[in-house]
Amino acid sequence: MSATDRVNLEQSTVLLIDDNPQALDMLSSVFQGFGVKEQIKCASATEGVRVIQNRAVDLIVIDCADPEMDSYAFARWLRRETPAPLRFIPVILLTGHASQAKVREGRDCGVSFVVTKPLTPAVLLKRILWLAGDEREFVECETYVGPDRRVRNFGPPLGMAGRRKDDLSAHVGAAVEENMDQSDIDMLMKPQRVAL
Amino acid sequence: MTEARTLKIKTTLARQMAQPGGRTIADVERRANERLERHRDDVMTTIAGTITELELVVAAAAPDSEPQVYRLASSLLDTAGFFDTGPLYDAGYSLCDVADRMQASGAWNWPTVAVHVQAMRLILTGGCKADATTEALLLGLRSVAAKARQEA
Repeated sequence: MSATDRVNLEQSTVLLIDDNPQALDMLSSVFQGFGVKEQIKCASATEGVRVIQNRAVDLIVIDCADPEMDSYAFARWLRRETPAPLRFIPVILLTGHASQAKVREGRDCGVSFVVTKPLTPAVLLKRILWLAGDEREFVECETYVGPDRRVRNFGPPLGMAGRRKDDLSAHVGAAVEENMDQSDIDMLMKPQRVAL
Repeated sequence: MTEARTLKIKTTLARQMAQPGGRTIADVERRANERLERHRDDVMTTIAGTITELELVVAAAAPDSEPQVYRLASSLLDTAGFFDTGPLYDAGYSLCDVADRMQASGAWNWPTVAVHVQAMRLILTGGCKADATTEALLLGLRSVAAKARQEA
């Protein structure tokens, strides 16, 4: 991605949720610079819930430590309690310091990205551009709902059975045919002229 | 173990961003940086105020005021994290980390907090510049934090 490539957020509505009013204003300035069509600012996650139930938004950016509903609880609510297509809205979770208790929650709450501060507009824009081309599948199971956390799909962990229909088995099994003859292998490797 | 259901989703954001138009990345970044920069002075004033509040909490060292330390340090990171405050951000992060661990383990130590707050004041007074002095301060904080982690 080069500096001359284009980014088009002119049709996008962004929901910004931050319980720190000054940080919310700065976030808003950044998105104003990004040229979004509309931004909705909320000072709490519960206010964000009300907005989502009544308005269409295309991206959510949240940094909220409100004990009533924090960023992680909001993401879990969005992914598990709302119907499609609401539950698919991309969510970027911003955090300064994630307490020990929250690190695992960050992994499991179903956000599209966790972005840690210090934060620059360039970093945020990079994540948004990545989301635009995000090809990860959306996963729904008992313990997790959200974008696939495996950015590279190497299959299920060794020694574990896959839980997805397209997961291949890691078990190779015993040979059922005779080994190939060396001359057959040589023939496979031999360069051959091809008439085009 | 339940089977996971996977869905191929094209979000509205992805569809909108695939439309022609918009601005160049360089232009968008410049505009965002310009707008963000307008907040810098206010943010530095807020940071100074937060450090003063931390100093008061440390001076009082009142029982049950421990959660306030994490809350204040975390709020400092929330705003300082939008600018290049370098060593100040690192010191604030270290304070959050030790406060979180000490609170979780019940092994609270006020001098550990005090040394962090003093370092943050010195860094702020020095203009948040990364130099030999701030490097030495951060090195000291790392040792204090490592000791607090061991005890926690």
